[in-house]
Amino acid sequence: MSRIAPGARFLDPKVLARVADLELVARTVVEGFINGLHRSPYLGLSLDFAEHRAYMPGDDIRRIDWRLFARTDRFYVKEFEADSNADFLVLVDASRSMGFGTGEVTKLDYARVLAASLAYFAHKQRDRVGLVTFDGGVVAFVPPSAKHLDAVLHTLDRMRPGGPGALHEPLSRVAEATRRRGIVVLVSDLYEEPQQVLEAVRSLGHKGSDLIVFHVLDPAEVHFPFQEPGGYEDLETGERIPVVPEQVRDEYRRLMAEHVAALRATLGAQRIDYTLVETSTPLDQALFAYLSRRERTVRRR
Amino acid sequence: MGLTFLVPAFLAGLAALAIPVAIHLVYRQRHVSVAFPSLMFLRKVPFRSMRRQRLRDRALFALRCLGLALLALAFARPFLEGASRLAAPAGGGRELVVLLDRSYSMTYAGRWDRAVQAARAAIEGLGPDDLATLVAFDEGAQALTEPSADAGRLRAALESVRPGAGATRYGPALKLAQERLDSSERPRREALLITDFQKLGWDGQDEVRLPEGAVLRWADLSASDAANVAVADLLLQRELEGGRERVSVSARLTNKGGRPAGAVGVSLEVDGRVLQNEKVELPANGSATVAFAAFPLPPDTSRGTVRVDADALPADDAFHFTLSPGQDVPVLLLDAPRGARSLYLSRALAIGNRPRFRLKTVRAGQAGAPEIEAASAVVLNDVPPPTGAAARALKRKVEAGAGLVVVLGERSTAASWGGEAAAWLPTPIGATVDRAVERGASLAYLDRAHPLFEPFRGPRTGDFSSARFLRYRSLPATDGVLARFDDGSPALVETKLGGGRILVWTSTLDVTWNDLALQPVFLPFVHQLVKHASGHAEGRPWRTVGEALDLSRFGEGASSAGAGAARTEGFLAVSPSGRKAAVPPGSLELEEAGFYELRRPGRGGEGAWSVAVNANRAESDLSVLDPEELAGAVTVAGAGAAAAAAGAPTTEEREQRQALWRYVLMGVFVILVVETAAAHRLSGGTAARPRR
Repeated sequence: MSRIAPGARFLDPKVLARVADLELVARTVVEGFINGLHRSPYLGLSLDFAEHRAYMPGDDIRRIDWRLFARTDRFYVKEFEADSNADFLVLVDASRSMGFGTGEVTKLDYARVLAASLAYFAHKQRDRVGLVTFDGGVVAFVPPSAKHLDAVLHTLDRMRPGGPGALHEPLSRVAEATRRRGIVVLVSDLYEEPQQVLEAVRSLGHKGSDLIVFHVLDPAEVHFPFQEPGGYEDLETGERIPVVPEQVRDEYRRLMAEHVAALRATLGAQRIDYTLVETSTPLDQALFAYLSRRERTVRRR
Repeated sequence: MGLTFLVPAFLAGLAALAIPVAIHLVYRQRHVSVAFPSLMFLRKVPFRSMRRQRLRDRALFALRCLGLALLALAFARPFLEGASRLAAPAGGGRELVVLLDRSYSMTYAGRWDRAVQAARAAIEGLGPDDLATLVAFDEGAQALTEPSADAGRLRAALESVRPGAGATRYGPALKLAQERLDSSERPRREALLITDFQKLGWDGQDEVRLPEGAVLRWADLSASDAANVAVADLLLQRELEGGRERVSVSARLTNKGGRPAGAVGVSLEVDGRVLQNEKVELPANGSATVAFAAFPLPPDTSRGTVRVDADALPADDAFHFTLSPGQDVPVLLLDAPRGARSLYLSRALAIGNRPRFRLKTVRAGQAGAPEIEAASAVVLNDVPPPTGAAARALKRKVEAGAGLVVVLGERSTAASWGGEAAAWLPTPIGATVDRAVERGASLAYLDRAHPLFEPFRGPRTGDFSSARFLRYRSLPATDGVLARFDDGSPALVETKLGGGRILVWTSTLDVTWNDLALQPVFLPFVHQLVKHASGHAEGRPWRTVGEALDLSRFGEGASSAGAGAARTEGFLAVSPSGRKAAVPPGSLELEEAGFYELRRPGRGGEGAWSVAVNANRAESDLSVLDPEELAGAVTVAGAGAAAAAAGAPTTEEREQRQALWRYVLMGVFVILVVETAAAHRLSGGTAARPRR
């Protein structure tokens, strides 16, 4: 297990939030992350296995799958996604609820940096990066391209909380617009029923794309630490209900935990990577934990 | 020892305890609004207790309620009743003289109850080193206790005091306080005056000064709107009608108040029977006279009362009097044989009925012992004294209390007054003094302080100086000279013979030697001369509370005769309240208003005398004296000696000494600090602040 590089402490989201240049932020995150990967036994930047092909003279003998040789007595090499220059599309939920935050970083800020980091990461691997921001509909769309990193970062930088959010409509549009399979990353706070989330996300994988879901939440949304009784107003619908926190706290936490578990189970059953990320968690730590877990998953296939 | 409050109205602030309750129980949604990303899960939580919120942080709530309650208590100025130890200020003990007014104006509109409360509060406020004296006063002052720290003894003395029928005088009470405070060794000296500050009680003439440093406090029980209707005075007029004496009674009523009194009922009672009723209108601060119709005088002494409708001051609503049949004064006039010399004298004595002189004129030498025995006064009108049995009878009569008037004239010589009768005169009769050449002498000196000349004390009550005396007898007396001529010669001399009096007039009572008989003053002078000689004192129909009734000359206004008769035995006096007391010969102090009855011991009610007594009507005037004026007159300016005004001084002072409100406020401060710290600690988690 690679350890987190010493410089990764700098990648505190609160600290990152104060850095104006998103590219710098993304590069910082990624390089810090990459530094952490330097001792990884896995060479290459991409750990996503794509397929086997027969060994051709000149191939890197470190790519020979020796297990398959043991079974087939033939030499096959592994071919990774990175080698195939896939489309890397990041879908960022920019609905009004994403503007919520109890610390210095809102969910949208966190999603912004996360998306930028992933885009930068993919661009380093010579993937074609694209971006979609949405709320109830598609707000901004940057088609995947090897030359669109700047556009992606620029769009992310200008991203602001929009109107009420919904997953189905914008994700369906994206699914229709996507011609090639690739990697689709969804960053959202997923305030819909798990089944609805699945319906919306699954449409993105109809062409065999690899789906990754980052469920971004503020710690207050997970732990509900509020004390003051008051009228709680839904940021997206404007609905208000009176809440006495100490009376609802336990129940809320249980419901939230059930929701997360349901999402994990529902999406996982469809082989969609699901990761819950709290905005208080340093970004590189979240990325490393995810990618390490993903790498183990890939190896077990 | 109980907790009480100086300003209990502030306890209404306890209603503010509802404020923290409202804060804790009432959910004010409009003041707290939390923006939350999604109510997706909150909607699913059952809101079972949104209709009512329970109290959070009970300890905090209790602290806030306690703080508010203590604040209300502090403003109400609590103090401990009977906490003498707490109330005792530093600096040694206190000498306190409580002056309690018990005049009858203190029965007006609950003043007495308030006075007792003030006195009781003063007693309860005594410190462990204090000494107090309770003094009750009206016209005089009486110390009911010695200086004592025993609150029980003082309270017992207080319980024994009742308002009386006396009037108000502050001088004696303040004098007594001065004496007590002067003799005190305690560092602090106070006098507490509990009174209704009647103006009549202080004329500024009493020389009273409290010791330097002594404080005069007071409890002012007066009222600016006091009103009082009183029967102020009576006029009894007698007249003879058909040989029978009739009496008419006129009553003067006063209204001491700012509002007119309409249809005031007035009644006349005699021996308990209402004879007449009248109605009268009284103007504000005015008076009116009610004249009752004349009625026959009862044969024996009767008790009468004029009564008005009862008001807030009942002591002056009734005016008592006694009525006795007229008492004639039997006078024996010994005249010269020709008799014409007594014309003016006899005519003067025939006029008038107060008293009525029953005159019998006898030629000198023809008066016998029986006539002399029947007379209260014998007039020797320029005649020699009787001799023999008549002389002895006369001497005996005078010694027994009758009177002798000796008129000196031409026939009154030393020779004619020889023998035993010479001893009756103060000095031997001298020669005739002839002042005709000087156009007559005049009376230059009268002893107006003598009872004989009492009616002539005022201005325009009788001019003796206009009478011219051509001749008079020389009577070189030095003692008992009641009048002198302008050359200093005695004109009238009084001497005693046993229990009786002898009056010697050195000129005539006709027009031979002087023209006094032609002066208007002659008639009243002759009346006074004979009346005084006889010892007759007009019966007083009523007396005033505070007077001392002279029992040795009792007969004044009595039902039976015996004017001037000395009493050697005592009486059983029954007061108007029914209290009986054996009274030795001497005097009886009249302390109550109503009818006293004087009985001879062993005779029950037979031959008893009635004496009507009324309260001093000056006390009916409830006009108020400025307390500051009184205090300024009796206190000495000096450090700590300023007279202290107080509505309820004892209570206020006690509260100021204890100053419990300060401790209560300190407690409020401590509670506020604790509450602030507790609230800050319990406020805990942060509220959501969405980033926009």
